[in-house]
Amino acid sequence: MSDAPVVVAVERPRRRRLGRYVAGKVGGALLSLGLIAVLGFLLFRALPGDPVTTMTRGRPVSAAQIAELEAAYGLDRPLIEQFWSYLADLARGDLGMSYTFRVPVADKIAERVGPTLLLVGTGTLLAVALGLWLGTRSAWRRGGRFDKAATGVALGLWSVPTFWLGLLLLSWTSGLFPSGGITYPDTPPDFWSQAVDTAHHMVLPVITFVAVVYAQYQLVMRASLVEELSAPHLLTARAKGLREDQVLRRHAVPNALLPTVTLVFLHLGLVVSGAITVETVFSWPGLGLLTFEALRGPDLPLLQGTFLVLAAAVVLANLAADLLYRVLDPRVRAS
Amino acid sequence: MSLLRVRDLHVRYPSEHAVRGVDLDVEAGETLGLAGESGCGKSTVALSLLRLLPRTAAVSGEISVDGEDVTTLNWGRLRALRWARASVVFQGAMHALNPVRRVGEQIAEPIRLHDPTVTAAQARARVADLLAQVELPAERARAYPHELSGGQKQRVMIAMALACGPRLIVADEPTTALDVVVQAQVLDLLSGVVAERGIGMLLISHDLAVLARVCGRLAVMDAGRVVESGPTGRVVAEPAHPRTRALVAAFPAVGEPRHRRAPATTGEPAPAGVDRVGGELLRVEGLRVRFGDTVAVDGADLDVRAGEIVALVGQSGSGKTTLARAVLGLVRPDGGRVLLDGRAVPARGRGLREHRRQVQWVPQDPTSALNPRHRVADAVAEGLRVHRVPGDHAALAAAALAEAELRPPERYLPALPHELSGGQRQRVVIAAALALAPRLLVADEPVASLDASVRGEILALLLRLRARLGLAALVITHDLGVAWTVADRVVVLRAGRVVESGPVERVLTDPAQAYTRSLLAAIPRARWASRPT
Repeated sequence: MSDAPVVVAVERPRRRRLGRYVAGKVGGALLSLGLIAVLGFLLFRALPGDPVTTMTRGRPVSAAQIAELEAAYGLDRPLIEQFWSYLADLARGDLGMSYTFRVPVADKIAERVGPTLLLVGTGTLLAVALGLWLGTRSAWRRGGRFDKAATGVALGLWSVPTFWLGLLLLSWTSGLFPSGGITYPDTPPDFWSQAVDTAHHMVLPVITFVAVVYAQYQLVMRASLVEELSAPHLLTARAKGLREDQVLRRHAVPNALLPTVTLVFLHLGLVVSGAITVETVFSWPGLGLLTFEALRGPDLPLLQGTFLVLAAAVVLANLAADLLYRVLDPRVRAS
Repeated sequence: MSLLRVRDLHVRYPSEHAVRGVDLDVEAGETLGLAGESGCGKSTVALSLLRLLPRTAAVSGEISVDGEDVTTLNWGRLRALRWARASVVFQGAMHALNPVRRVGEQIAEPIRLHDPTVTAAQARARVADLLAQVELPAERARAYPHELSGGQKQRVMIAMALACGPRLIVADEPTTALDVVVQAQVLDLLSGVVAERGIGMLLISHDLAVLARVCGRLAVMDAGRVVESGPTGRVVAEPAHPRTRALVAAFPAVGEPRHRRAPATTGEPAPAGVDRVGGELLRVEGLRVRFGDTVAVDGADLDVRAGEIVALVGQSGSGKTTLARAVLGLVRPDGGRVLLDGRAVPARGRGLREHRRQVQWVPQDPTSALNPRHRVADAVAEGLRVHRVPGDHAALAAAALAEAELRPPERYLPALPHELSGGQRQRVVIAAALALAPRLLVADEPVASLDASVRGEILALLLRLRARLGLAALVITHDLGVAWTVADRVVVLRAGRVVESGPVERVLTDPAQAYTRSLLAAIPRARWASRPT
């Protein structure tokens, strides 16, 4: 990538260079995670709203009771003291207790990670496949009817608000699919019934998710392939006697995929947090919905926890993109 | 029957009639040279032979390759003909190879494509065989293009072209961007293959000396037409057409007294100006520059006197560009010193800025050196702004353009780079350097990317600037002809060390070192002893 140092013909054992590269990238990721931990603490303290006021809303409470609650949650202590105990707890892997759910934040997050990964994973796979396929076809017949239609539709869907599209789909399919949740409570507990019921619940959230995000993969792939299609080495491939589809399949698409793969991974971290709206509209019990619920408090420990997890996903996805690109592109390996 | 027969070939692009009635013949065992400047249509001819032109090109006329009429073949038969019976060595192997595939795979690809019965193991053996023919070790098959040098990439390209045993090879500028020694090796390799296999070759180049070294017959193209053709000796010795004469004159013969300080120019003849050489201006002492574990410059000494033109010659990778960058203060030396007027160049701060003003750089390729969205006026005045030179920048820029002989300057000031020719762009770059009233120009291959007819003009400009302004220059080049044409002294660099230095007349006619002799021997020497001027 662009930040890789340009070294002029340095003869050095490959493994040592690789080790240094990986160590650099991992070190950078760890530093980002540390900064995120600090930011997570400060950011939510700057939010409007007071947790104790929200907890006691609608109930007659005395000033003494409020003070007692604040003391119980440690909110009366100076900010710097709260910060140090937050860091100390974090170092031990303790994310604190949720104010609203009254269970450890770590447990709550662990419970919600599965559904989010299921939804986001399925959605991303479908969006990437659809986007790459449409992008390739668009670039191949650039300026043609297919290209114009596909690019127009993708851009249109991309600009649609997620929650609005979700509600629209719900009203159009009226009752064909469940309107929320992950399973019905009365489904038999055996694996197959549960799986079929979950799949049934997933249809609308996944369609909504895919519809809104596939455009970026399509446009990136289209742009990347359009650029690759003017590469002089494709003329060599044609002169060798390859058919046009072989030129595309063997030389143009694989090369165009390189920058696209990186972008897919960079986006991967973001889509986890991007699921917030979809999960909220369809009451999907994942991390996104949990974040939304935590924001209402504000449930500070829970917010810190989800923020950490979502931000860590971005950092890890970036790290994966950096390392993967090195594996895929021999030119990066050399530098 | 000829391997290649082209009759009355016309190629029309929507905006341009690029090829206007070309006839060519190549027989088995023969190499035909096709010469011409950029834009004369020679590459279009090459691509039309295998119908590789874009869809927008309309081709008419007769093209027959190895007895097959290419213009009427259906796509299936055409694909079968491509590479198996006629292959292409493309210009710039850097871009003609897929950057992310191993070169072995790329050589094997046409073998298995044209004969599906070949197994992967057989293909690997054939690749090793082909690499041996182009004198590359078999394990290079596992390399990626960027891991190879320019000459090695060109060898891979040639191995690839031979993969299916073609009857005809079309080589489009196969040695452009290679240094003289590697160029000589690649040309020998190509002519060896033609002689050994009894196949035909169409060799395309803008460099008549390259063609003269290899080809039995020459055809010279200009504006889409063949303006002159015949046996190489006759065409080169008695060029009939003005275009041929210009091409012959553009590549001076080293050692020929009439070409000494006499670049081919249609303007006023270049004055010698040797009498203006003064005291020492620049001195480089024991300079060492390292990149990681690679020593690029290894204890080089050099000096340039005021008003003197010194040529720094050497092969690619000899460290000449790094040395130049150290002189400009762009690279900090790891050892040794660079002195201007006897004072060491400061490593940072105002002193370094002042040094950079006095020593100006003229880069190799004016097209990539100029910002395509900056007008000439901005490009020339940029240095004035950066160095906060007092005065009217517009007037200074106009004066610099006039100095670089773009007259009247008002006509060029509002132009964008793409509206100018290659030679005009190089003059703009030189004007940008002159605007700062430098004392030394460092020109890195100042004419390598220019057409034959403008090379002489730019070299003559350097000589006139020296005569008018007493401007000293360090000219970096791999082309000894350039050194012979403009320089007073020459410094030969090899692997970061100075091998030999001295007056041009002595070093280039009676070299003391074997290495200098081998550089001189590698120059493609046309067989012209005397020629009309």
